[in-house]
Amino acid sequence: MIELQGSLETRQPVPLSGKFVGDLHFTQQKDVPILIIGHHILYGKCMDLEKPFAVLVKNSSSNAEESAMDTDKTPETSYKVKAIIRKKLLFKQRPKPIIANVPKKL
Amino acid sequence: MNEYPRYNWSCQGMANFCKGTFLEQELVPLGLCLNCGICIYKWPKSTCVVMEWMYLMGLARDNAAINHFEALFRSLEDINTVLEFAKLEKKDVKPVVQSVFFSPELDNESYKLLEVDESVLDSILSGKQVVIRGDEEDSAVLCTDDKTYDIKEADISNAMLIIPDLKVGKDLSNVGEQNAHITQVTSVMHNYYELRPCKPKVKKLKSLLEENKFSGMESENDESHQGQKYTFQDLLNLVQASEIEIKTALDKLQACHIEGHWRVLDFDFLSQVLNHIMRLCEENDWLTSGIPLEDCCQTLEELFPRSVLEHVVHCYGDSIKPANKTDEEEEQMEIDRITHRYVVDTKFYNLNEDKICRFFAELVLRHAGKFNFQEFLKVWEQTVPSEMKTSLHQLEGMALIDRNCKPEVIWYFPSENLPEDVGERFNFLFKTQEKWTLEEIKPYISDLTTEKMDVGALLTKYARASLQNGIKVFNSRKPVT
Repeated sequence: MIELQGSLETRQPVPLSGKFVGDLHFTQQKDVPILIIGHHILYGKCMDLEKPFAVLVKNSSSNAEESAMDTDKTPETSYKVKAIIRKKLLFKQRPKPIIANVPKKL
Repeated sequence: MNEYPRYNWSCQGMANFCKGTFLEQELVPLGLCLNCGICIYKWPKSTCVVMEWMYLMGLARDNAAINHFEALFRSLEDINTVLEFAKLEKKDVKPVVQSVFFSPELDNESYKLLEVDESVLDSILSGKQVVIRGDEEDSAVLCTDDKTYDIKEADISNAMLIIPDLKVGKDLSNVGEQNAHITQVTSVMHNYYELRPCKPKVKKLKSLLEENKFSGMESENDESHQGQKYTFQDLLNLVQASEIEIKTALDKLQACHIEGHWRVLDFDFLSQVLNHIMRLCEENDWLTSGIPLEDCCQTLEELFPRSVLEHVVHCYGDSIKPANKTDEEEEQMEIDRITHRYVVDTKFYNLNEDKICRFFAELVLRHAGKFNFQEFLKVWEQTVPSEMKTSLHQLEGMALIDRNCKPEVIWYFPSENLPEDVGERFNFLFKTQEKWTLEEIKPYISDLTTEKMDVGALLTKYARASLQNGIKVFNSRKPVT
């Protein structure tokens, strides 16, 4: 999991799906995660979650309806634990801008 | 990317188009595009030529498709250009680069994050179910086998990007060829659910069971006994507590399992049963030798259902450990007891003096209102069997004594009927009586204690201590409402 302070937005209100976020690098020495998003560079750190997260997915509704018909009671909803998240990369520092057009020395 | 099926598709078309710009061998087929089934090539130099080619071939029909392809093509050249702009040296970072994309099926709704502690995690990992229980109007509560948690939703301003199979620094080696991995964000979360361990909310259990008390088989069809009856499964769905906690609570309420339903015995009915048992005991001199459960049940079976008899003997007696039983067998009996599976094997019980005396005190005080304390002691002495001795500690949590008024009085004040909420509980107690000594108040609040908070801590938080005639007493911190 990657945690970012703030949220990601696009300039135009277009859906985010399929869009490119950025490149994630790790430094050789200290395994510091570096995330480059557009012309921003973010330094973060890798943390163990104090309490892990369980990722829950609601079971498909068709199942719930069936069981509702079987028992004639309020439908039972169930969630499946799809994954346990134990680590996160936290980027909580202010992003640094990347200045692109510095003329290169020849 | 590596999981995509390799597709042996000629890249002739592309090579022709880009003739002169690159060699055919430079194109590496990566696999099939998940969306449209077109083979995706990796070309180490740049993606733009490929994009242009696709556009001309009519493969990239619209913006969405182009976006999609752009997403899947991120050449090392692009990455390195950005790295250079960022003034980072290629040798300082690990060779494996993870390019993060939002998944084409980005879905923020279908996932929920639940923060779990060790014990919940253990039960999930060991494949057990955890259950969210309660009626529609209750707040959500999560139960494992033996613990109960409040579920609270927490919103945070940070964005949490859920990325399956994300590699962290430790997973990646420092050497090797530069390589770009595609990772996908499956959802972006701004909230999660927290669990807080809480006391089981078993008060409801009492009110549910009291809808239809049991007062004998013959009165089952009476008008007053048509209330709802509950099986254990019904109770599990309605009461916000774990299985083990509900069982403990049922035990405490002295609920009895009768014909598949959990029932509490009507007090008058209970006293009938108990009286019969005691009379039988006196006739057979069982008070000293112990009650043989089997004989007792056989004698009284015509009057009361067997399950009730066993239950009452069990509630008011202690089983005597026969000399030849091993500890293991004893453990098994304990398990049977908790699960209320009575073993037919004849067991001996001794009536528990404290429990019997307490029962008779309740019988006397129940409908009496305020009772002259000295008179009460006399009456109480007379009602209990002659072999038993009454003692004031037997009244703990059931009756209150006011020694300040003349004459001294005692009245019925059972702890089971108090509010479950801590604040309300203290308010109610201080409304009943302004000042309490530690001994007096202890039985009325001891069920509120948690691992972190014992009786002393509760009193420090909710009450103020003072000295009265050299005795420490507690009164309310807040004005009583």
